[in-house]
Amino acid sequence: MAQVPVQTIHRDPQLFYWILFPITLVMILTGVLRHYATVLMATAPKKLDQKTIREQRSLLHGIGVRSNAHVLSTSSFNARRDALTTAYESGAYLKDPERRGQAPPNPMSDPSSMDGMMGMMKNQMAMIIPNTLIMSWINAFFSGYVIMKLPFPLTIKFKSMLQAGVATKDMDPRWMSSISWYFLCFFGLQSVFNFLLGNDNAASQMAQQMNQMGPQQAQMFGPGVDPDKQFLGEAENLAVLEHYSVLDNVEERLLSNAKL
Amino acid sequence: MAPSLLHPPSQLSPGDALQLSQQAPSVLQNSASTTSSSPFNALLSNPETADQWVQHENLLLSCLRTGDEVAANRCLEKLLARFSEDNERVMALRGLVKEAEAQNNGELEKVLHEYDQILSNNNTNIPITKRRIALLRSMGRLSDAVSSLVQLLDFLPTDAEAWSELADLYLLQGMYQQAIYATEEVLVLAPNAWNVHARLGEILYMAATAPGAAGGSYQKYMTEAVKRFSRSIELCDDYLRGYYGLKLVTNKLLKNTGKASGKSDEGEFTLPDTKTTERLNQLATSKLSEIIRRSTARETGWRGYDELEVEAARKLLSEEASAASGIER
Repeated sequence: MAQVPVQTIHRDPQLFYWILFPITLVMILTGVLRHYATVLMATAPKKLDQKTIREQRSLLHGIGVRSNAHVLSTSSFNARRDALTTAYESGAYLKDPERRGQAPPNPMSDPSSMDGMMGMMKNQMAMIIPNTLIMSWINAFFSGYVIMKLPFPLTIKFKSMLQAGVATKDMDPRWMSSISWYFLCFFGLQSVFNFLLGNDNAASQMAQQMNQMGPQQAQMFGPGVDPDKQFLGEAENLAVLEHYSVLDNVEERLLSNAKL
Repeated sequence: MAPSLLHPPSQLSPGDALQLSQQAPSVLQNSASTTSSSPFNALLSNPETADQWVQHENLLLSCLRTGDEVAANRCLEKLLARFSEDNERVMALRGLVKEAEAQNNGELEKVLHEYDQILSNNNTNIPITKRRIALLRSMGRLSDAVSSLVQLLDFLPTDAEAWSELADLYLLQGMYQQAIYATEEVLVLAPNAWNVHARLGEILYMAATAPGAAGGSYQKYMTEAVKRFSRSIELCDDYLRGYYGLKLVTNKLLKNTGKASGKSDEGEFTLPDTKTTERLNQLATSKLSEIIRRSTARETGWRGYDELEVEAARKLLSEEASAASGIER
């Protein structure tokens, strides 16, 4: 069987200065710019009014009592449990006691959650727009030729994306045009951004988020959560808790440990 | 341990506070250029460090403590220039400086009035709320302070600082039950804080030995006090305060073994029997003497103890020794 001929293409050595280096530099600079733009555009955390704070903190307090109940004596815990359960079931901490039975407000129409969603949209925009611009710039200026060869083989399907300007039938998919360099940089510059901008920068987080689009956890106090149900659930958790105290037999433990 | 500007200065002795406030000129000079907004100056001057503004805040507090109001005002100006005056924390510091400079009760009332105004605009301004409560306490209006604090805790029950302040206020007024409740809330929020366990043990001991304590509650309080001190030692086995408290409580129990009779309720703690109490007492005594010995010898690893606490422990042990020798004679 004949050997598939290895395709070699002689490339201009100045390719490095005129193509790879400018694309990389532009991407780094836009990443830094994007980071600072995100920082400047970030909205301050929303100020909550007293009733909302009360609602949220009371729930946290109940959860705290449940998790750390071992610190209390049984009588103290029972007293707190009774007080909290009564308060939760009667809706004493609710922000809007009249809306008890109704469904939680739709996140789309609820004005209080709009700000959070606008913030997320702004971040997405800050991500999409520069990338689109760079891609069109590369396609305009750097198309029509291949610049590099990948060291591992690929399937033919990649040719349509990564050899966009060069429509040949037989060229090995390992040959890449400049748009593929763009994609490589896009995923690979995260560590450079971490070095330049510190760990928590907006330039690399976008790519990380795109990789992590897994199942999103429900937020505790975000839009679309019904506080009344949360309170009732918490009251039930408190009621079924079997209380033990860390203070039972603490002396024996202490004395036996001290001997060691 | 040399005092440092990175920690809040509430625990410092007067000598340390003076030392810190004397660093004021050098600290203020170093940061002179950062408040200018021209880019040329910003390029040439030192960039902001993470600790810089914490240091300014602590310096301000130390200067107020030693009475250096000029330096305190300069710190405050720098903080105002860097963080605008709408920043809640800066507003609270400003109020604090005004309180410190007030000469008489009338001026304090004015400051209180200003706080009320700020709070009527924005009633979730937590630093100002806490500042106002502290002012009420220092003006002697304890019941007003308590009611404001209870209001704060109604909508912010997860604030351990507020609960411990409430416990302190109740203790000042001798309301032991409520102080115990408030300290338990602090423990719920910070379950492994051995100093809070020791504090609760101390409050229980005070409640048990208070004049007018009923017989049944004496036993309950003493039992729980023993357990609290034991727990604090369990969490931190070099804790002098825990051992001191344990020794005090077990001494008292051993002296009054006649009273420790009667059944305890279902679900309550039971008083440890005499043998366990004696062993706890021995443990406390031996550990206290070890701490005293090693800390006075300034051995490595034992130098962190506060002098006054070690002195108090020494006094306790020597009192007991003299009492014992008195009995033997």
